[in-house]
Amino acid sequence: MTVSDPTAADVKVCCATAYQNDAVALILGESYHPGGLTLTRQLARHLDLRPDERVLDVASGPGATAFLLASEFGVAVDGVDLGDQTVANATRVADERGLADRVRFHLGDAERIPLPDGAVDVVFCECAFCTFPDKASAAAEMARVLRPGGRVGITDVALDPTRLDAELQSLAGWVACMADARPVAEYVALLDAAGLTVTRTEAHDDALAEMVDQIDARLRAFRIAKVPALEGIDFDTALERVAAAARAVRDGIAGYSLVVAEKR
Amino acid sequence: MTTTSPPRQKVDRDEVFLEYTKSICPVCKTVIDAEVNVKDNRVFMRKRCKEHGQFEALLYGDAQMYFDSMRFNKPGTMPLETQTEVVDGCPLDCGLCPDHKQHACLGIIEVNTGCNLDCPICFADSGHQPDGFSLTLEQCGTALDAFVRSEGEPEVVMYSGGEPTIHPLILDFIQLALDKGVKTVNLNTNGIKLAHDKKFVRALAAFDRKPNIYMQFDGFNERTHTEIRGRDLRKAKQAALDNCAEAGLTVTLVAAIEQGLNEHEMGDIVKFGIKHPAVRSVAFQPVTHSGRHLEFDPMQRLTNAEIVHGLADQVPEWFRVSDFFPVPCCFPTCRSITYLLIDGDNVVPIPRLLHIEDYLDYVSNRVMPDMDIRHALEKLWSATATPGTEMNQEQLECAVCGIDLPEALKTVTDTAFMIVIQDFQDPYTLNVKQLMKCCVEEVTPDGRLIPFCAYNSVGYREQVREQLSGVAVPTIVPNAEGLQPVLLTTRYGSKTHDGNGNGHVPADATNRGQSLR
Repeated sequence: MTVSDPTAADVKVCCATAYQNDAVALILGESYHPGGLTLTRQLARHLDLRPDERVLDVASGPGATAFLLASEFGVAVDGVDLGDQTVANATRVADERGLADRVRFHLGDAERIPLPDGAVDVVFCECAFCTFPDKASAAAEMARVLRPGGRVGITDVALDPTRLDAELQSLAGWVACMADARPVAEYVALLDAAGLTVTRTEAHDDALAEMVDQIDARLRAFRIAKVPALEGIDFDTALERVAAAARAVRDGIAGYSLVVAEKR
Repeated sequence: MTTTSPPRQKVDRDEVFLEYTKSICPVCKTVIDAEVNVKDNRVFMRKRCKEHGQFEALLYGDAQMYFDSMRFNKPGTMPLETQTEVVDGCPLDCGLCPDHKQHACLGIIEVNTGCNLDCPICFADSGHQPDGFSLTLEQCGTALDAFVRSEGEPEVVMYSGGEPTIHPLILDFIQLALDKGVKTVNLNTNGIKLAHDKKFVRALAAFDRKPNIYMQFDGFNERTHTEIRGRDLRKAKQAALDNCAEAGLTVTLVAAIEQGLNEHEMGDIVKFGIKHPAVRSVAFQPVTHSGRHLEFDPMQRLTNAEIVHGLADQVPEWFRVSDFFPVPCCFPTCRSITYLLIDGDNVVPIPRLLHIEDYLDYVSNRVMPDMDIRHALEKLWSATATPGTEMNQEQLECAVCGIDLPEALKTVTDTAFMIVIQDFQDPYTLNVKQLMKCCVEEVTPDGRLIPFCAYNSVGYREQVREQLSGVAVPTIVPNAEGLQPVLLTTRYGSKTHDGNGNGHVPADATNRGQSLR
């Protein structure tokens, strides 16, 4: 999840109806997307990464995925993220880990990726696609920077808006990750329209359930700590909404999907 | 007309063979081969002594949990020096011998055998006994010196017994440990002295580095007290805790859990501990079937799995099974820990705030985690962890900062509450695989560091007591159901076998040293 820079445009859009941005960033944390590094590895295996291939990680955040791919799969990684501080920090860590020759981070927008056409073999995008306001442009950009036959791997929140009740509607506005999430079929259609043929979809709803659980724990921890940034927040209501999210996952209204596609 | 008998069918075994290891015969303590099997999602050890036959015992009550814990296995750290040589192999060379896989996180010094109670359950087989020992200042110093030479700057020493608070030199022993650079002293006590002697409590609280009180606390039912301790100690426990709170001493409640007696009180013990101002942690220990104990069935004993599941069942509003993580410094099936953030009735298990496995999985997690956070978590998930100490505080803050939580949250870590679950091995369940990585050692006045479960099960306790008291001590045998016909009661109330003579260094009857041709 890349809400580390709360001023980023995508978060602004997603959290239009939410509490102030730094509160949202706090509650979600910058740690990991649902499924953590385990799901990242699984996605990497589905993408059949080969040593020395070039990988783009869209919304690369602190760089955990980039470092994993470089060190475990031997690929070169370009990370793109909207936050300049995030990019600077990730670059510093790449240096510290001696990965600077394989892993680079760039300031950039998913809808205007700062790489030339056909530059990469594989695109990664974890728990970020749903936050892009213009998903068609983002998919087109992924297709543009991929070489012909290149692969895309996406994991993201999948949500069925037609089944959202009022309570969950307000929840969707409140939790950044669910803000503009779509059903899996819509992700498949968006990718296909961009020239990316989907070859695999998998449900990983447990990973989302665990993430919601973590948000619940963070909220309750902040309540104990009486964090100033969250002053005035109605914790009882917030926790009720998180509980509603947990129910939505349990009832199959919200889920977490893995999608693999190939450039035609 | 011919009749054909049906073809003979091969039959599958009803268990999965998992490990081959070494253990001891629970009767004669001879080292023997042992196998570990899984059946019906539970883990069992089976072994055979040429002399005393076959034995089987439950090792772990949840096989899935047993497997899952294996990746939380930190590479061991060598101590600065070892005290013995490898001669006969584990577990006969304690210790520590150069083959031992881990340094000593926690050193226990038993300062006496005398006690102001005669509990029906006591792994140390202590009580009102005239023929035991009481360490001199010099003996205590020798033990401390051995520990310091082995550890450098030891984190924690625990004074135990017997009942250490009735040792006339206990305050001097505490000062001596601090003088020799030990950072934290734990005082393992039944609390009786603390209940009745406020002056003593104030003297404990007067140390620069106050000792943490590690106090027996088994539950709230009268029957729990009479069956485990032989007396109703409820008022004394409450008075001791209140006196500690008044003096500013921190307390760990230590609950021995006996099957069918006080399992149902675990949730209440945690709730009570969280509310009492002196209590900063609770340790649950399935009753150890070494030393003196009630008759038991080795196939139905309690293990860490039953304790974890029991807590999750009894306090579902706070706990889940997944809130508890194995301690990686010892063998991961030995000990599990969780920490809680607490404010009144708001309770958050800290493992829900970060992915512990991203930092403490040393086997399948191949990406280098943030080392500062890993180190902080290693200290918290260790045998040295003592809530309320400065060290523990720093580690909590660092771990919490790794979760990207704001400054304000760091300040609440001083209210963090620890829950430890520890199943000790007994002569039925002893597995050298676990023993070789034990990080809790009994430090003896002859300068040895003997892994706790070896000390209690293999015969070292009897050997050391005999050396220090000059009085012969029988080899103690578990009070197990199947052994009843051959058991004799010792003068301390524990059991022995009529065939067991003196001499506590057992033989080795594994297949080592023999060849087919």
